[in-house]
This record gives sequence, structure tokens and C-alpha cells, in this order.
Amino acid sequence: MIELPSRPDRRTLLVGLGAITAVWVVLGLVFPDSWAGVLLSIAANPSTHTTMLRLAVPIALAAIGGIFAEKSGVINIGIEGLLIVSAFSAIIVTFWLGSGESTLALSHHWWGFAVGVLVSTLFALLFAVVCIDFKADQIIAGLAVWLIALGLAPFVSRIVFDSPNTAGVGYFQNVTIPVLSEIPLLGYLLFDTPPQVYIMLAAAVAGWYLLNRTAFGRWVVASGENPKALDTAGVDVRRVRYTAVLLSGIFAGLGGAGFALGQLGTFAGGGETAIGGRGFIAIATYLFANYHPIGALLGSFLFAGLEAMQFQLQNLGYAVPTELIRTIPYATVIVVLVFVGKTRLPEAAGEAYDGDED
Amino acid sequence: MSEPGTATGGGAGPSEDLAVHLDGITKRFPGVVANDDVDLRVERGSVHALLGENGAGKTTLMNVLYGLYEPTEGRVLVDGEPRQFDRPRDAIDAGVGMIHQHFMLVDTMTVAENIALGNEPKKWGGLAVDRDRIEREIADLCDRYGFSVDPSATVGELSVGAQQRVEILKALYRGADVLILDEPTAVLTPQEVEDLYGVLEELTEQGKTIIFITHKLGEAMHSADEITVLRDGKSVGTVEPATTSREDLAELMVGREVLLEADSDPVETGRPILSASNVTIENDRGVEVVSGIDLEVRAGEILGIAGVDGNGQSELIEAITGLQTPDEGTVRFDGDDVTNWPRRRRIDAGMAHVPEDRHEQGLVMPFDLVENAVLGSQRSPRFARSGRIDWAGVRDHAEDVIETYDVRPPTADAHAESFSGGNQQKFVVGRELERDPELVVATHPTRGVDIGSTEFIHERLLDLRREGKAVLLVSSALDEVQSLSDRLAVIYEGEFVDVTDPDTVTEEQLGLLMAGERPGETTKSEASDLVEGGDR
Repeated sequence: MIELPSRPDRRTLLVGLGAITAVWVVLGLVFPDSWAGVLLSIAANPSTHTTMLRLAVPIALAAIGGIFAEKSGVINIGIEGLLIVSAFSAIIVTFWLGSGESTLALSHHWWGFAVGVLVSTLFALLFAVVCIDFKADQIIAGLAVWLIALGLAPFVSRIVFDSPNTAGVGYFQNVTIPVLSEIPLLGYLLFDTPPQVYIMLAAAVAGWYLLNRTAFGRWVVASGENPKALDTAGVDVRRVRYTAVLLSGIFAGLGGAGFALGQLGTFAGGGETAIGGRGFIAIATYLFANYHPIGALLGSFLFAGLEAMQFQLQNLGYAVPTELIRTIPYATVIVVLVFVGKTRLPEAAGEAYDGDED
Repeated sequence: MSEPGTATGGGAGPSEDLAVHLDGITKRFPGVVANDDVDLRVERGSVHALLGENGAGKTTLMNVLYGLYEPTEGRVLVDGEPRQFDRPRDAIDAGVGMIHQHFMLVDTMTVAENIALGNEPKKWGGLAVDRDRIEREIADLCDRYGFSVDPSATVGELSVGAQQRVEILKALYRGADVLILDEPTAVLTPQEVEDLYGVLEELTEQGKTIIFITHKLGEAMHSADEITVLRDGKSVGTVEPATTSREDLAELMVGREVLLEADSDPVETGRPILSASNVTIENDRGVEVVSGIDLEVRAGEILGIAGVDGNGQSELIEAITGLQTPDEGTVRFDGDDVTNWPRRRRIDAGMAHVPEDRHEQGLVMPFDLVENAVLGSQRSPRFARSGRIDWAGVRDHAEDVIETYDVRPPTADAHAESFSGGNQQKFVVGRELERDPELVVATHPTRGVDIGSTEFIHERLLDLRREGKAVLLVSSALDEVQSLSDRLAVIYEGEFVDVTDPDTVTEEQLGLLMAGERPGETTKSEASDLVEGGDR
């Protein structure tokens, strides 16, 4: 029999990444004009950090949502679609309210944001009905959510704007918290930042608490591991799974709408849309984080950080083909999954629960 | 013979202290009457065994009591009050708890989380689970009933016996006064069964009422205060163990006289069919689990292997049947060195295998019985023609097995998972024995099977032996290996401690050997201590 090399675990991977980072930092400090030095200066640049936080919003929030759905036993690979519909509807509602002006009152953005979350939740409800009550294959239903969103957003955009891309509606303003934002190093990052970043940070903590400290969180885990045990304990599995999938819609909606209004300001509906696979990266992120909401937040920083550095490189005018750089997050996903492919899925994930089969 | 203590339909007055009274329960499913006018009276603080063969309607009756099924006719009375349970929650609220045969536990969660699941005490206005309170209440329960479990242990890492205690604690935590245990011993080792009896005693002393579903005579006789026997959905009598015998009980249960001990008249043995020499196997962690075992099974002979589970039997059997390759040693089958033969070639050569775990190895659960019937024969010329399977032929074969081995319900189109464990086992045994093998390697062939069918399987094994086939039988049921085998090897920590003559060896001696004592090493007093553990 062929002995496969054993796969390094998460700890080894993290130590490895740490070592590479350390070598890079040393090289960068010693040779400031080398590639290592340029990359180091980009990585140390505060604007890279703020960009990273903004880019992490859709990934982290979609990942936290995905954790709830998958932990309850419903694999929701449609979260990419949820990001798309929430981002698009947030933009278009803001546009309608404000007649397309980019100097809008803040409240229009918040209405758009709320509608974005609502639309995402409704899509998640549709997905839940199809998967939980009609026992459809979750992977196919999830793909359907994505494909519908992929077609619907540019279609509506074409009707309204005569183009797959919407008009711009402007951005959320930074919310600066006095005093705290003066804290050296972290203040500008965490306390002088647009609202969607606060929402992301709060959601990670709230998600962790909900999953690990409340009765509902225990039911979600039981529903994904052994739904029958939950059923015989007198808890309605169907209701737990519906709630968990709706939560995935709400979290993904917060991510999509927050990203659209806080970072994009417009919605490009062509090709893979402005969301560009961030929902799929979110899935890789929560698997990497082993379903830990705060781990998923940190994991999203890895992918968002690479993307932010790529933006900075382009800004500095380095002649690196953008197409190549754009593959970096995806290549990272593959590398990460190769090394931590051992993530154990919940026992009953992907299976519809039929309580009457006795 | 059903006279002694028959209480069925008796006119006992309401003064009796009945914890549970099922009054004339009839449960019909489309085309089947699972329970037919069954009465059950369970006194408070007693252990009441519900005895019957697989498919006699025991579990259906208890599902009616637990609110999983609504009775077609009849009344359910708990503590003398008529109740209607629409779902398990109602039964739980009325103080009825059920410990299912397949535990309803979440392996990845802790003991405390499992026990409190669905009943979590809240704090901070419902914003958090009061984990301290759960642990305190579990500690109280453990104190009261003499359990010891670590509330923070992960359930998946506990032994089966400990998981069962978690299930019992879960029911007690929910305030159950009546505990229904569905085939509680099916998955336990002999030691764990003894522990369970102790737990049941403790519970009834504290006023709890136990209903114990079983098809094993010995267990009902040993642990119950009263035994109600079900046959074909009807209650055929309630007896007290003190006033009945195993033979009478068996007859009541099966409806005819039963041979409790299979009789093996000596048969002329022929050439060696299976021989293994110096088989040595290391497990994944590099621990030697089988150490240089030699064995030989001749035509017309049954070689039994007795031993406590986990002493290398599984690995030895896997090496013989081709599921793994031994690190050292050779396996010869009918003259050929088959050590490195793949499984399929061994099947073709006439080696049938009843695996120890019917779920993992014997059946594909989401397949129907027709599909399961062809497993292992999917390339044999009997069922396959140029790569296509003759499904009509396979169906006939499946129906033959179902009929011959009395698989109930007799429907080849139902998925394997919808059958009870005993009926699954009968089907696997039937499929393997009907291969017309030269050698049958059977591991726990009657685990979970009722006595009527156990008798039949034993007869079939003895028939094969009379026809001059070889049988290698591994079982943790001592009476089984002892009554069937011509020679009985005892395995301990990967070695044969002794090979005995099953007709002369005593259960006490076997118990000692299974505990690793070499022959002639112990004194009498130590012997009687150890038997408790080694024997069931």
C-alpha cells in the first residue's frame, strides 16, 4: 500500500505561515528596495489595513452566516448568490430613494441597506423551503440560488439603467468614535471606520456567542450532528434549521449590502458581478476556521489582506499583470484547503431530516 | 403452560399501584396489525420485562407509550390517569422517558450538553445557558443513583456502556419516573450488562419504574420482577420469573417447543480447509493486536473462538477473510496460499463471511434487500452476465433468503435500514450461508437475533458442518460457541490462551481463560471472582 504523507494540521500551517512572514519581514527590513521591501512597506501602510477591513466585510459576514446554516445541517453554498442580491438591491433602493444623486442623505443608504438584508433573507427563506420542506439536494439548490442571483441582478440593472452596471450612489461615511480612535496603531483601524466594519466585528462576536453560549446554538449543533437526538429531546428540528438558514441570509445580507454601500458605491453586474466569488471564498474561510465565527473573521483578513495589497501594488504602478494578481486569493484558497482539508463536516450536513421515518 | 401468574385481561382493581397501564392497545399499520388488544400493567418501582421475538410488536407498543405512535384503539394510563401523547414531549412531561436502542446522543457535544439538550436552564433573561446549574443537577443525579460520569467529557469518546448511562441520566434529568429501555443489552459487553443490572436495581430502589424490552430469555429471567410476553402482536401472558422456567418462557414466546441448546453430534472431519500460521497484525498505531496465531479448521468441523471483544478477534478475522493483510504469517485456504488474495477471489473460492458489524460491513443501509442480496456476488456467473446483473434472478434469491431465514416484514423492496437489527442480521446470515461456501467465517452470527431465529441459524451452521463444510465461529455469547463448536479456542490479547473441548470445559474455566489466566494458574476463590466479569 502507498503511504500518503500525513497532512500537516492547522497548527503546523499557522506556524509555517508565521515563519514565512518572519523571513519576509527580515528580508524587507534589510533590503528595503527589493520586492520583499516594497511588499513590506505596502503591508505596513495604514491604508492597506483600512482597505483590508472593508474588503473583509462580505467574506467574514457571509462566512459567519454559512457557519450557522452548515452547522444546522444545511450546506448553503448559495451565499455567493445572497451577497449578490443583497448588494444589488441595496444599491438600487438607495438609487431610487435618492434619484441617483451621489450626494445622498445618510438615511437613504440605511434604507437601501435594510432592503438589501431583507432581500437576502427572503432568498434564504426560499432556499430553506426548497431544502428543508421539499428535501431538495442542498448543493443543487445552493447553485440555483447563485445562478438566479447571477442572472437577476444584471437583468434588473439593464431594465433600470440600460446597462448591467448601476449608477453610483456614494458611500457610507466613516463613523469616528471620539477618544478611542486616538489609540495608537489600532484606533484608526477599529474606531474610525465605516459602519459595515463595526457590524462585521460585532457580528463575529455575536455569532460566536450565539453558537457557543446559548441553548439555540446547542440546538443548531445537535441538528447538524444528530437531528434525531434533537427531535427526541423535544426540539423541532425543522424550526431550528429554518432559523439557522434565515440567519445565514441575514448575515450574508449584512455583508453584501454593507460591502455595496460602504466600499463599492455602485454595482457592476457583468460577468461574475462585483461580488466576484467572495461568497465562495467565504465558504473556504469558514472551513479553514473550522466553523469558528471569530476564526472566520481572522481568516477573512488573510484573503482580504492579499487583495488589499494587490490594490496598493496597482496604485504604486508596478507592472504586475492584474489578472495574475487577481488569482492570488483563489490560489491561497486552494493552498489553504490542501493543508487543512481535514475539516470535519457535521455528521448530518447535506441530509434532509425526515422525522417520520421510524 | 401459560397458567402460572397470567394477568392478561385480569380484573385487578384500581387499588393496584400501577405506574403504567396500557389498556387494550391495538395499533394497525396499513396491512399489518402490530399490536392486537395488548394489555400491560406495570407496577410502580418494579422492573417489567417485555419479552418477544423480533417483530412481535414490543417496540411498537413502547412507541405508543412514548407518544411516537397514536394507538388505533385502547387507552394509555400513567399513574392511573388516562393520557394522550401526541409527541414524545407529552410523554416526557408526564414522566415517561425512553432509552432507544440506538442512542440519541450528539457525539461531538459534552455529556452535560447532551443531558440538557432541549431543556437547557437559562440565565441572564434567556441570553445564556446556565451551565453551572446543569453540572450541579447532574452531580446530584449521579450522587442519588450511584453513577459516575464526567459532565465535561465528549460523548463520542465514552464507551458504549457509559453512553447508555448518559442516556439514562438524560431521561432522569427530564424528570422521568418510568424508563423504557429498548434492547438495552444489545450493544453492551458482558461486564457492562452486569453494571446495567446494578443501575436498574438502584433506580427501582429509588422508586423508578423500568420497562425493559428484550428478546433474551436469560436477561428477562435475571433482571425482571414481572415478564409480559408478546407474540405476533398479542400479549400471551404475564409471568413472574420465580414461577416459570426458561423452557416454558421460550415456548410462550415462540409458540412451540424450542431447543435452547443446539446439539452437535460428532461428525467425521476431513481435510484441512482453513489453516493460518503465525498470523501477526499491527494496528494503525503500531500496536501488535494479533501475535503469531496458528489455527486450523477441517472440513466438517466448527472451530469456535471465545473472548472478550477487542482482543484481536476482529483483526484475525479480517486477515482470514481478506479485509486486511497480516504483517506476518500465512493464511491457507483449501490448499492455496491466500494470504495476499483480494476479498473477491476468496469469495469466488468459497469463503463466506458474516461480518461482526452488519451496519458497517454487512449491508448497504439505503439499498433495498434485493440490492443487498447481490453484494459479494455481483460478478458471479449466477447473477451476472457480461457485466449486467440479472435483477430478476437476484430478486428470487433475495425472496428465498427472506423466506428461509424468516426476515420480517417479508418485503424485498424495503431499504435495509428500515428493518430491525435482528432482521437485518438474519438477512446477512442468510445471504452468506446460501452462497454454498466451503468455509463460513461467522462473527457474532446471532447478535440481536431472537431465539426462534437463533435456533434456525444454529441449525444451519450445524447442517453445513454435516455437509462437510468448515465453520469458524467467533462469538462473545459463551453458550453459543460452547454448544456449537467442536473445538473452542480462547483468545486474549491477540493470542490463543488455550484450545479446549467445549463439552468438558466449564463456564467458570472459560471465564478465567477469557480474562487471560493461563490454564492451571489460579486458585478456586479467584476463579469465582473473575467469572462475574468474563461470563455474561
